[in-house]
Amino acid sequence: MKKRGRGIACMWYPIGFTVAANPSAAVVKVNEDGTATLLTGTVETGQGSLTVLGQIVAEELGIATDDVHVVSADTDTTPMDTGAIASRTTYVTGNASRLAAEKAKEILFQVAAPMLGVKPEQLEARDRKIQVKNYPQRSIGIGEVANQAQFVMGQPALGSASFNPPTVALDPATGQGKPFATYVYATQIADVDVDDETGEVEVLRIVAAHDCGTAINPMLVEGQIEGGISMGVGFALQEEMLFDKNGKQLNPNLTNYIMPTSLDMPEIEVDIVKNFDPTGPFGAKGVGEPTAVPTAAAIMNAIYDAVGARVYSLPATPERVLAAIKAARAKKLPKPKRKETQKRIAAH
Amino acid sequence: MAQKPGSKKDSAMSKKAKPVRSKKSAVIGRPVETVETLRLPAVMQQVAYPIEALAPKVRQQTPAVGQRATRPDCRLHGLGQTKYIDDMSFPGMLYCKIKRAGIASALIKKIDVREAEAMPGVMAIITGKDIPVNSYGPSIKDQPVLADDRVFHAGDGVAAVAAVTEQIALEALDKIRVEYEPLTPIFDPVEAMKDSAPKVHPPSSNIYATKLIKKGDVEKGFRESYRIFEDTFTTQMVEHVPLEPHCSIASWDANGRLTIHSTLGRITLGRTDMARTLQLPISRIRMVATIVGGNFGGKNEITQEPALAVLSKMTGRPVKGTFTRTEEFIATTTRHPIIMHYKTGVSKEGKIIARKVRLVLDGGAYCSWSETTLGKACILSPGPYNIENVHSEAFVVYTNKTMTGAMRGFGAPQVCFAYESQMDEIAHALNIDPLEIRLRNAFHEGSASPTGQVLHSVVVKDSLLQAAERYGWKEAR
Amino acid sequence: MTDVTLKINGETRSASVPPETTLLKMLRENFNLTGAKLGCDIGDCGACTVIIDGKSVNSCLMLAGQVDGREVLTIEGLATPDHLHPIQKTFEDCASLQCGFCGPGVIMSAKALLDDNPNPSVVEIRDALAGNLCRCTGYTKMIQAVQEASKVMRSDTVRRLAKTNG
Repeated sequence: MKKRGRGIACMWYPIGFTVAANPSAAVVKVNEDGTATLLTGTVETGQGSLTVLGQIVAEELGIATDDVHVVSADTDTTPMDTGAIASRTTYVTGNASRLAAEKAKEILFQVAAPMLGVKPEQLEARDRKIQVKNYPQRSIGIGEVANQAQFVMGQPALGSASFNPPTVALDPATGQGKPFATYVYATQIADVDVDDETGEVEVLRIVAAHDCGTAINPMLVEGQIEGGISMGVGFALQEEMLFDKNGKQLNPNLTNYIMPTSLDMPEIEVDIVKNFDPTGPFGAKGVGEPTAVPTAAAIMNAIYDAVGARVYSLPATPERVLAAIKAARAKKLPKPKRKETQKRIAAH
Repeated sequence: MAQKPGSKKDSAMSKKAKPVRSKKSAVIGRPVETVETLRLPAVMQQVAYPIEALAPKVRQQTPAVGQRATRPDCRLHGLGQTKYIDDMSFPGMLYCKIKRAGIASALIKKIDVREAEAMPGVMAIITGKDIPVNSYGPSIKDQPVLADDRVFHAGDGVAAVAAVTEQIALEALDKIRVEYEPLTPIFDPVEAMKDSAPKVHPPSSNIYATKLIKKGDVEKGFRESYRIFEDTFTTQMVEHVPLEPHCSIASWDANGRLTIHSTLGRITLGRTDMARTLQLPISRIRMVATIVGGNFGGKNEITQEPALAVLSKMTGRPVKGTFTRTEEFIATTTRHPIIMHYKTGVSKEGKIIARKVRLVLDGGAYCSWSETTLGKACILSPGPYNIENVHSEAFVVYTNKTMTGAMRGFGAPQVCFAYESQMDEIAHALNIDPLEIRLRNAFHEGSASPTGQVLHSVVVKDSLLQAAERYGWKEAR
Repeated sequence: MTDVTLKINGETRSASVPPETTLLKMLRENFNLTGAKLGCDIGDCGACTVIIDGKSVNSCLMLAGQVDGREVLTIEGLATPDHLHPIQKTFEDCASLQCGFCGPGVIMSAKALLDDNPNPSVVEIRDALAGNLCRCTGYTKMIQAVQEASKVMRSDTVRRLAKTNG
C-alpha cells in the first residue's frame, strides 16, 4: 500500500574556501558610449555566473544588464580567478567585479564633476546617467561622460580590483577559528509516497526556502535550487557507483547508473528568503552547492514519517527501504506519529 | 528508467526510403539536375541564425540587480550555436585515447607499445615516463597523469595514443600490452585505517588527512543530558555526470607556446598545474575554457591535459582528447562515501547539549579535493544549531577505488543527511514537532559556530518558517 | 565507404563515410553541424536528439547509411534568419538551459512533441523529455518553457488560420 509522508531538513553552508586564500580579480572597462566590458577569469559552467556578474557591474555603474558584455575563461585576456568552485563566484568574483566597476566609476565622477559644477563625491550613477545626489534633474548621460573622459580628458574609465574572503586560520588542536567569510542557510520539505510492499519511493513535492543574501537574479537562483534538488533526489534514491570484488566499476554508464529524468522530478516550489549580507556585492552571498544539501535528508525524514522506517544508508533503494520497513516491524515499533520510539535510545 | 528516444528508431526505420532527387533547381532558368549529376559538397553551408539585436526588455532595465534578466548564452545554447570544446577542431588535429589499467592495485612490469605504434594512422604513444613532472593535485600531489610503475585504481591511465582518427586510436589501445604484478587491493576505508592493511601509497599511511573541531566538553555535556542518541549513517559514491564529458585540445606554436582548450572550471590553477607538470613558464601557456557543459565540482582539475600537450609536441599537430562516458565514471573524481557516527545528548525539551561526531571519508586512490571536503564536512557536521559542547573528528583514507574529490557540497550533503535524520529521530522520540525542535536549536544572528565563529546574516529560522508556511506544515496535521 | 544522400534542414546533401559512421558523427564531422552533442554514445542521454521524418531519434544510435534518402531536422534548422523558433524563445525567456549541453536535444524532443500534440499536459511533456538527461536544471524550467511554447505556437496557428480564412 502507498503511504504518504512529509519530512523537513535545514542546513548551513559556507561561501568560498576553508581558510585558504581564494581570490578573484576583475577588470572593468567603460566604453566611450557608456556601455562596459567585464573581464573575469572565472568560467561559465552553467550556473549563469556571467549574467550575474554582468548585473553586478551594471548596478555599480548605474546601467542595464545588457549594457555590460562579459569576457571570461581565457588566461591570455582575463585576470586570475580561483574559479567556479565552492559557491564562491557571486560573492568573491562578484565583490571583485563590483570593486573594479567602482574604480572605473570614480574616473567618470572626476570627469563629470566639473561638467556638473559639483564635487565627485556628490555624484551617483543611476539609470544610465551620472547625477547629483538628491538632485536627479542635474545629470549627464553616462555615455557623454565616458566619451568626455576618453576623447577630451584622455582618461578612459578603467578599473581593476581583487577580493579575497577574510578568514582566520583554525587552531590545529581545537579547530577554533573563522574558516569562512559568510554562510547561507536553507530548509527543504519533501512529500513522498512509499509503497510498503515494494519499498518504492516517489517524491511528490519539494518546498525549498533558500537564503542567498540578495538574489542578484531571482530567476537564476530558482534554476540553481531546482537543479540542486534534482541532484539531491538522485543522491537520496537512485545514484550509486557499484564495484565488483576486484575494484572494477559495475555500472560505468548511464544505462545502469540511474540519475533523475524528467519523470523522477517532483513539483518544486521555491522561496528565496529575504536577506542582505553587508559583506557581499549588493548584499549577495551564493547559492550553487547548498541547493543539493538538504534534499536527501528531507526525503529520508519523509520516508520515516510515511512508514516508520529509518534509512541509515543512501541511496534509499526499494531494497533498502523494504529492509528498513521489515526491521522496524520486527522491532514492533509503533508508528512514529507523535509517539515515542524506543529505538537506539538509551536513557542516561 | 525512462524510455529512450532511440527505441523510436526501429519504427522510423521500417519504411523503405526512396532515393532523393532534386525536382527543381534552386536557380531559375537552370536545367533540372538530379543529385547524381550534381554532387553537392559534403560541407554544409553556414547556417543562418537570426540576429536578434534587441535584447529582452528585462535586460534593458535599471537598476540591474534583482532583475530576472535572461542569459545571452542561453540563447546560443538553444540555437546549437555554443561552441563547447568538443565542437571545435583544428586542421591536422589528432585524436587521443587513453589505455585504462582495469586492475585496482598492481606494479607495472612492462608496457609494450610496439604493435600499436606500427599501426597505420598511429602517430605517437606515451606513458608516464614521458610526462616531465608526472604528478598533480590541489593539495597533496599524489596523482600521476599516466601511471608510473604502479597502478592505484582500475581507472588509472597507463598509456596515451594519438592517431589520425578516434577509431584508430581506440584500436591501438587493444594492441598495447601491459604486464602487471597484482598487489593486494584495499577497498574498505575502515579496514584501510588498520595498521595491518596494505598501503595504497607506501610508505605513507592510508589515513592521509585528519580534522578535529572541539568546543566545550562533550563528556560533561553527555552526563548532563536527559537522553543520548547514537546512530551510524553511511553514504555512497556518486558521479557528477555533467552532460558534457571532459574534453581538451592541446596545440603549440612555433615559439613554443602552448594553447590548451579545456572543459575546466578553474583555468588559472589549471594553467599552474600545466606549467608544473610540463616544466614551462606560465607565460608560455594559454588556457581557454569557453563554456563548460556542467561542472558540479568534477571539472576543477586537469586530467589528461599534460598528456595531450606532450603528444601534440611530439607530433607537431593539435591533439584532442574526449572522455567516453565510461571514463567519466572510472577516471574522474566522485563524491566521497562517508561513514558517519553521531552521538547526541539532549535535554527533555529537545535542546542539543552535546554532539560527538566521527567521520571516515573514503578518499579513493588520490587526495584530489579530499582535504577541503574533510574540513568542510567536519566543520558543518554538527548542523546549523547552537551546541555548547562539540567534538567532531574526521579522517580521510586511501582505498584502491576511483578517486573522490569536490562534488556540489564538499561533504555537506552527507553530513546533512546524518544530522537531520538524527534530529528527526530525536523529535519523534521526545514527541516534539520536527519543525519546532529545529527552531529551538537553530542558529540566530550572533550565534557561535562549532569553530567559535560569530555568525552574521543568519536566517536559518526564517528559512524554516518560510518553508513551513509555504508547505502548510501546521495546517497539514 | 558508404555514400549517403539526405535532406538536412531542407537542403539535399551527400557524403561518403566509413560504414561504421553514426548519423551523429556524420552531422558533426562531415556537415559541421555540431548542435547535436555526444554525451554517452549509447542512446542513454539524448543530447544527440534530432528529428527524422517527424520523429525524435538519438542520432548516436543510427548509422549514417540508415538515413540515406530521408529528411533530418537538426537544432540548426529550427530558427529562421528572422526569428528564433518559439521553443528556442521560451527556453531563453524562462532560463531553461544552464550549461546548455543537453539543450539542443531537449528542444528537438520538445519540437517533436508539439508537432504531434500541440497542447500537451505536464505529464505528457515529462514523458516526451524523459529520454533527455539534464544535470543542471531539474527539468522544472524546461517543462514550463514547453508549456509556454505550446501556447505561443497554438496562437500562431490560430492567427494563421484566421488570415487564410478571412
